[in-house]
Amino acid sequence: MAEMVKLFVNGQEVAVEQGKNLIDALKVVGIEIPHFCYHPALGADGNCRMCLVGIEDGRPPLVPACKTPAMEGMKVLLDAEHIKKIQHDVLELELINHPIDCPVCDQAGECTLQDYYMTYSLDDSRRGVEPVKKGKRMDLGCGVVHDQERCVLCARCVRFTRQITRTGELGIVNRSDEARVAIFPGKPLDNRYALNIVDICPVGAMTSSDFRFRQRVWFLKKDEGICHGCSKGCNIYIDHHREKYKDDMIYRFRARTNLQVNGYFICDEGRLSYHRENENRQSQTRVDGGVVGFEEGIKAFRSRLDTARKPLMLLSADCTLEQMWAVKRIANLYGAGLSGYSDASVLPGDGDDYLIQDDKAANRKGLELLGIDSSKESFMAALQDADLLVNFNNDLFFSNINDELRPLLDSKECIAVCSHARKLFEKAAIIIPTASYSEYGGTIVNGDGVLQLFRKAVTKNDDPHDILEITRLLGGAIVDAARAWPGIRQSVAVLSAVQPEQIPAEGLKLQSSEEPHVGS
Amino acid sequence: MSDRSELIAVGKPFSFDAERDAEFERLITRYPIRESMIMPALWLVQEQDGWICAEAISYIAERIGTYPAKVFELATFYTMYHLKPVGRHHICVCRTLSCYLRDKQEIVDYLAEEIGIRPGQVSEDGKFSLEEVECLGHCGTAPVVQLDGEFHEAMDAKKLKALLATLD
Repeated sequence: MAEMVKLFVNGQEVAVEQGKNLIDALKVVGIEIPHFCYHPALGADGNCRMCLVGIEDGRPPLVPACKTPAMEGMKVLLDAEHIKKIQHDVLELELINHPIDCPVCDQAGECTLQDYYMTYSLDDSRRGVEPVKKGKRMDLGCGVVHDQERCVLCARCVRFTRQITRTGELGIVNRSDEARVAIFPGKPLDNRYALNIVDICPVGAMTSSDFRFRQRVWFLKKDEGICHGCSKGCNIYIDHHREKYKDDMIYRFRARTNLQVNGYFICDEGRLSYHRENENRQSQTRVDGGVVGFEEGIKAFRSRLDTARKPLMLLSADCTLEQMWAVKRIANLYGAGLSGYSDASVLPGDGDDYLIQDDKAANRKGLELLGIDSSKESFMAALQDADLLVNFNNDLFFSNINDELRPLLDSKECIAVCSHARKLFEKAAIIIPTASYSEYGGTIVNGDGVLQLFRKAVTKNDDPHDILEITRLLGGAIVDAARAWPGIRQSVAVLSAVQPEQIPAEGLKLQSSEEPHVGS
Repeated sequence: MSDRSELIAVGKPFSFDAERDAEFERLITRYPIRESMIMPALWLVQEQDGWICAEAISYIAERIGTYPAKVFELATFYTMYHLKPVGRHHICVCRTLSCYLRDKQEIVDYLAEEIGIRPGQVSEDGKFSLEEVECLGHCGTAPVVQLDGEFHEAMDAKKLKALLATLD
């Protein structure tokens, strides 16, 4: 814990962390200092002049808060007339050439310029001449669309490409009122994190071609979630909305800050993976090719399991710990084999040294912790023996490493519990639709051993059943996620002290199982 | 100010000639940070070709080991870098306060009439180009004209006519 200091804001005493810049330090205690260019991931740049405050200790009358560390006894002035004037004047400057096209701007509703105008300005424009014309709808690459006229030149995007991705595609060219963000001709954005620029742009200058004009942001319900695109487990906001007479749909993922896991950003692939939650979903229950009601499907499921000589259950490495535990329990109940074989979700060489991991499964560590065998050899051997394969949403053909398995798989009767309609599941005798990760909650462990909790975000009109619920309908004892934990705690030493509801927001870093476990 | 971000590509790669190459290697040892060499390198390009094309910006970025966008920023920020071809003789007329008050417009108008070029243009025969620039720091002897890098103070149309007559 950093040392706390007392300082005064407009004469009122507050306790804040020492050494943090004033913007961040005061934000913690609910005091806003307006700013455009400062971003905690990119550092203080000091170019926008919006965060100028007064410090009553003999220094110049205005100092940028982003570059001023909080110190004991500091007297910070935020509401003095000269501070209000500078905020007002900076905003007027930013707005001189701004198109003020909020009604057609995607950023409206979450726009810093709009919010600050309402809070600090509310003035009419004094501009009597034509505004400067600049580029509109410019395709900067990677799905980033740029409007130079809306830009406030805070250079967050430029700094992002230089400091974070180190690809440096963007620059601010020209000077004075002709200055604008641009790419070097023929060198568009070309990195796997480019859409973060849309998140960090404080105004509507950077928009995503994927999200543009799809939904007004004030309609979106912003729930916290965890990306299941790879084993990093980046924290995200799941922005979804149920339009009148329609279903609850996800419109975008955005990065959510978690300094222990993903920092401030997410990769583009993960960001756009929300499409998979909306599309190609398995909604019908099928038995032997015919569409039936869900209950009937479960009934058929039970009876096939009962009559099977040697069933084999296959888990997905995307399942939550609770789901895995529940499936493990019913595998016991039915005397079934259990495998977590999912090598297909590893794409060697696809990862990088930042966020993207080779392993595209969200909870492979969970399989390991619960002692579920995931080797190809044992899966193949078990499959040879088995007369029924129950596949819990494991896409064995996520990559093409399992093509030789096809004849063997085709020769076995299969029950597929699946969230998405995939080739692999088409031939299944019974297809039971199930929820995907935005529609259930649970805990997962990322590749670095950080245990994270996430909650159900989306509720479909015809809300699919979670795998956990399906195991319950098959006669399992785990009726909800909480009920799984006594068993998990008992059988996994490293999780023995975990209370899922008490997992901190930034996740719980698990001790390696080789080391002696110290209770938290 | 005007938009200078429309670079011209000549369609063939740029490289320094032997003399500039040696000069580049000599200068870069002066700077602990290689990126500090961007501006001197842009000058070398301009010395060699008279102006800076898109290919030259890529070349400098690669040679220094930085992003083309960074070189692009500097080349467009400083109006002294020519981003399109100039005439054999480049005339800069100062348009800032002192020169403005001391009738720089007479000089600009003279050039329009006599040679047929306005600021930003090159004469048809490629001999002259004209540019209006910000303060050249010779306010005491305004108006000032910079011809091929040399200053000519207290100018008027007559003096300029005599000066231009000496050029080939």
